[in-house]
Formats: sequence, structure tokens, C-alpha cells
Amino acid sequence: MTKKLNRRDFIKNTTANTVGVASIASGISLTTFAASENPVSNKKRWGMLIDTNKLSEANIEDMVNACQEEHGWGNEKYSTGEQKPDWIKKVKVKDKATGKIDSLPLMCQHCEQPPCVDVCPTNASVKREDGIVLVDKHLCIGCRYCMMACPYDSRSFVHENLSNQKADTPRGKGTVEACTMCVHRVDKGEVPACVEAVGGDGVIFGDLYDANSKINKTLKKIQSTQIRADLNLNTGVRYSGI
Amino acid sequence: MNIRYQQIAGTSWGFIALIAGLFAVILAALGSVYFMEHHGHYVTGMSNRVVWGVPHVLALFLIVAASGALNVASIASVFDKKIYKPLARLSGLVALSLLAGGLMILVLDLGRPDRLIVAMTEYNFKSIFAWNIILYNGFFVIVAVYLWMMFERRMNKFTSKAGLAAFAWRLILTTGTGSIFGFLVARQAYDAVIMAPMFIIMSFSFGLAFFILILMASYKWSERELGDVIVNRLGNLFGVFIAAVMYFVIIKHLGSLYLAENSAVENFILFGDHIYTPLFWIVQMIIGGLLPLALIYLPAFRGNRSALGLASVLVIIGGIAQLYVIIIGGQAHPLELFPGKEIIEGYDSIATYSPSLPEIILGAGGIAVALIATTLLLKFLPFLPESLADSVADPHHKK
Amino acid sequence: MRHFPIILLALMFTSVFAHGNDGHINLGDKATELKEEGKSRDIHPSLAEIRKMHPEFLLHKRDQTLRQGIRSKRNSLKACVDCHSSTKNDEYLPINAPEQFCSTCHQKVGTSLDCFACHRTTPEEEL
Repeated sequence: MTKKLNRRDFIKNTTANTVGVASIASGISLTTFAASENPVSNKKRWGMLIDTNKLSEANIEDMVNACQEEHGWGNEKYSTGEQKPDWIKKVKVKDKATGKIDSLPLMCQHCEQPPCVDVCPTNASVKREDGIVLVDKHLCIGCRYCMMACPYDSRSFVHENLSNQKADTPRGKGTVEACTMCVHRVDKGEVPACVEAVGGDGVIFGDLYDANSKINKTLKKIQSTQIRADLNLNTGVRYSGI
Repeated sequence: MNIRYQQIAGTSWGFIALIAGLFAVILAALGSVYFMEHHGHYVTGMSNRVVWGVPHVLALFLIVAASGALNVASIASVFDKKIYKPLARLSGLVALSLLAGGLMILVLDLGRPDRLIVAMTEYNFKSIFAWNIILYNGFFVIVAVYLWMMFERRMNKFTSKAGLAAFAWRLILTTGTGSIFGFLVARQAYDAVIMAPMFIIMSFSFGLAFFILILMASYKWSERELGDVIVNRLGNLFGVFIAAVMYFVIIKHLGSLYLAENSAVENFILFGDHIYTPLFWIVQMIIGGLLPLALIYLPAFRGNRSALGLASVLVIIGGIAQLYVIIIGGQAHPLELFPGKEIIEGYDSIATYSPSLPEIILGAGGIAVALIATTLLLKFLPFLPESLADSVADPHHKK
Repeated sequence: MRHFPIILLALMFTSVFAHGNDGHINLGDKATELKEEGKSRDIHPSLAEIRKMHPEFLLHKRDQTLRQGIRSKRNSLKACVDCHSSTKNDEYLPINAPEQFCSTCHQKVGTSLDCFACHRTTPEEEL
């Protein structure tokens, strides 16, 4: 039972710009807001290009902090060390041959062929049409097989009871979680929190398929790489400078 | 040859004490589960790096052993070896009980065991895990039918067909269990096709170890006669399986060493300075391999039942160590994230794991469930032949 | 398949217990306000429908939101919580706390609700 919800034909470019729901619920919708009323499509693929040459270590720490702030992880009371959630982390690597040192942010790479989605027994690991990989916590039974399968150590298991979660980021004990590419912001036409935190060209977020997007143009011009490119997962997060 | 099956009396103080003891372990396990689920998994030794701990080790051990315990029945009905026929019922029973124990651990260690219904209704057919859920459930059904064919005289004629189905199913089941690991492309410790056949051969050995222990104990405690012919036959078979497991382990590690990509993890397991290396060499290979082989094949111990019993216990200990090394050792070693680069910050090289008491008790609870199920069913249904004296059991016995 | 037990339950409880004539014991602050202004029908055209079918709606819409990115207000559990939360001493009370909007009915019919193991139980904006 693959989870394919029926996709209706719909007009292009409606994702971010649809205005409000005033007509339906006029009573409360005094403030109109941008919300997508149409399903996301596979005409887009969200991605990120991280240029480690343009990122200072402080930049990367800002990204991590912005993520914690946005999603509310990292304040767990009882979890210790490796039990603490780790949606995005700063990793420093040294080339064995040349000794070159690079720092980079590491999180869910939003693969096109995500191993976590393949192994999940209950379809809780899911890739949206637009390439964002998510955990459907409604279906997650906490078996942690996705964590075994992920090549990037990017998923976390919630080890304790939580309360006072962020309204846009439901999180709960006994389920697995990871970077959502700030899907709630992306659906509103905004950029992920970590991208916003850096500003400038250090991290470019956009539609990989759109020939006019900055990310697409930059990727055509410069040398970039995927982590564990040998696995052929075609990640949505790309790096340059490492 | 006419075999008469008879329930065990199950009225002695020893029997009651056994049941009570097992029951206490199960209660303690349920208490541990409540403790873990109430607080969350932070009370266990597991973490985001070592996501499967001792419960998974024991669960997979029991599941692997379960499919192997059915072998005796398979040899009887599929390969038509008459001497194993009287043991077929017990073999089916031990298989079902071990599987029940293993699954109990697996389910109760989930992050959300209350959502078991989701696991039963939402299937991702690309997931080997989802396939395993089907395989496990199917195993219960097929072995139950197989047992029924054996118990019901009118159905006896279908026994060999049911046995064949059960045999095929159990091979697929263990392949599935091994593939849980074998298909993890990103993990250098697991990504090897040999995992599946290795798990099959491991199941032969672990399952027979449980079977021999349960057989000898139940005959001894119910004061029935168990002849040397059967015991020695099982012992010889057991020895072959133990040797085969060692062979597969050696091939697996040699094959892995050959790949430069995997040499780091192989060195980590085989020559590291942490718990996994002695677990591998001393517990798995020597205590769980060479020593049992010696106990079975050295002329001094030939036909000695205590030696065979000890060998079975050692194989079980070695088998648990083997799964500990595979499952936990494999996770403790870091993923190869950046080939050609060394990670100097942000991703710890080796993950630590120390099992917590609740995890161990939960694992013990699974073993207790398997044993209590076997014991009680022996009391309520005629699984055991009244006598397995050589004159009854051996088709070539000279009067 | 997953929806079946919910539909079944919904059919079984054709009357919803925590309601006197037409009133809910604790509607929540904003919802009460809207009701007094006579605007509640704009949001829930049929009370019987939302009472009976809300689990079904929640299930359907959670899949739409999570998997298809449909984030209209009518798809938002956040919006439910915003409207149906009550305050006490200038603080929001968790919507699943005893005597609050969700639990009044759920306690009575003895069905647990799992939403708030993960979802936030109060509106996020400050009072």
C-alpha cells in the first residue's frame, strides 16, 4: 500500500502565492496569509548548495542554532550525549593526503533515492513529490531501521517525553525525526531557517529543476559534490569546496 | 515402529518452581518495558548512534534460533529420516515458542509499541522489515498447520507436504532476517550478500542447541527414557552445524578484509581494543565454536550427555556474542562519511554503548516467554514420545 | 484500511456525549466568542458532521498536509487548537488537559487521543 494520494491537475506556480482562505472561513480569516492549497508537484525539486569556502565556523554554528530555535530541539532534559537529537551538526574534516581542513554543516541530504524511505516498514519515512524527505510521525512506530539505513547519520530518535513543542514542528517521544528542510516555511514561500541565518551566498536554497533559479545556475557553473556520491542517492543537498 | 505421545505430568514441585521462576522473569521484563516506555529510551544504553541494543541482539538471536529449531522436523518429513520422526512435534513447538519470545522483545523495544496495529496495517513492500512481519506471521500459521497435520491422524498423510512448505518458509524467513542487515548499503559492517546464508547456517546451529537442551531436560525431568542413538545422531549433526557457522564467519571476514573500503571496520572488529574484539575471538569463536566442537568430537566425551548439554549452552552463549558483535559492534563503528578524509570534529569516531538493566531484563523476558510456552504446551498437549529408548526410536534396532 | 476503525467508532457514537442540548461544556475562548457573534457556522457548517467525523477529517488532512504540503487553514490542527483553547490566569491551558476542549468528550467515551504526544497543546502566540 504505497501512500500515493490522488494528485489532481492543477495550475502551475500556485504553491507559494495562493492567498488566504478568507472565502471559506471568513469568520476567523481576517488576516490573509500565503498558504498552499494545492499539492506539491514533482516539477520542482528543492535543494541546497553549501559552499564551505564561504562559510566560517561561526556561520555554521549560526545555522545549527537557527535550526534549534526554529524546531525546538536540543533542550531535552534527560537525554545525554549521543541520545540528544541532532538535526544538523557542524563537522570538521581533514583530507588525509593534503591535510586541508574544511568545516561543513551535515544534516538530512534529502536524497532522491532515500534508503530510509526504502527500509521503513510502515511508510512513515516519506519523500514528497518536491523531493523533501520527512518522517510521518503519525505512522512511525519507532523501529529505528531508517537510522540504521541512513548513510549520513542524520536522523534522531526522541528518547524522552516532550512538551511545549513548536507549533510548526510536532515532535514526540518514541518517534524518529530529522531535518525537514523547514518544509513549513518552504510551503509558505520562505527559505529554511539555516539558510536565512547565514544570508549571502554561503548556502543557496532553491528549485534544482528551475533553469532560472540561482541554485541551478550556480551548479551549472561551479564544481560541486554530493557526500557519498558513490551510493548514487542523488542528494538534494550539494556541497562545494570539499 | 509405533510411537506413543504423552503429555508430561507437570505436577512436581520442580515443574511448578520452573513455571514460577519463568513467570517472575516475564513479570520483571514487563516492568522494565513499562519503565522504558514511561520515561523514554533515555533510560537505556541506546543512543542515536547505537539504535539497536541488547533487546535486538536477543530478539534476533531467538528469531534466528526459532527457524533453526524446526530443522529436526524438516529432516524427518522433508528428507524422510525415520529416526527424527518422533522428534518432529517437539521441533515445531520449540520453533514457535522461540519465535514468540523473540518477537515479544522486538515489539516491546519499539519506540511506540502501542502502535503495533500500524505495523500490521501499513506495509511498505520495499522494506525488508515489512516483509519480515509477513514472514513471521506466516511462520506461525504454517508451523501450526504442520503441527496439526502431525497431531491429527486423518491428516498424517499431508505431513510431508506441510513439512516441505514449512521448510521452504523457514529458509525464506531466515534469509529475510539476515537481509535486514545485508541490505544496508551505507554500513560497511553489514553490506554483504553473505549475511543471508550466514544467518541460515547460524539458525541451524542455534536452533539445534535449544532443541537439544529442551529435549534432554524434558526427558530427564519427566523421567522418560531417551536412548543414545538419537542423542548421538543429534550431537553429530550439531557438530557439523557449528563447524559450518565458523566456516561462514571466516569467509565473511576474509571477503570483507579483501575490500579496502571495509578494512577499517574489519580491523575494528577483529583487532580493536574494545569489548567487540574479545567477544569475537574468545566468546564467539573459542567458547561458542572450538570448545563445543571439542566437547562433541573428542573421543573422551563421545556419548557424554553432560558434554553435549554443555556444548549446547556454549553455542547459545557464543551465538549471543556473535549477534552482539554483528549488531552492536557494527553500529559502534563510524559510518564512512567522507572517504579519503578524516573527521576531526562533530562526529565521534566510535560510539559507546553499555547495556542497561531494563534492556537485559527485557531480553531475558523473551527467553522466559519461549521456555514457559514450551513447558506449558508440553503439559497440555502430547508433544513428547512416551519413550525414546533405542528399542523404540531406532529403526535399525536389533532386538 | 486504517480509517475503518475510526469510521466504525464514529458510527457507533452517533450521539456525542459531552454536549448538553446544543452546547459543548468547554468550547474554548475564541470559539465561544465566534459562537456568540453567530459566526461559528461559517467554520463548521454542520455541527453534527464535525462532531461525528472530526477524527476522519483529521486523518485525511494530516496526510494531505504532511505528504502534499496542503497548508490551508482548514487543514490545520494548529488552527483547531488556536480557536478551541481556553485561558486561565493569563495562560493557555493545554487543550488535552482534563475539562478542556478535547478531553471533555474523549474522557467520557474512553477513547485516547494521540495527537498531542507530538503536537503542541496551546496556541504559540503570546497572550
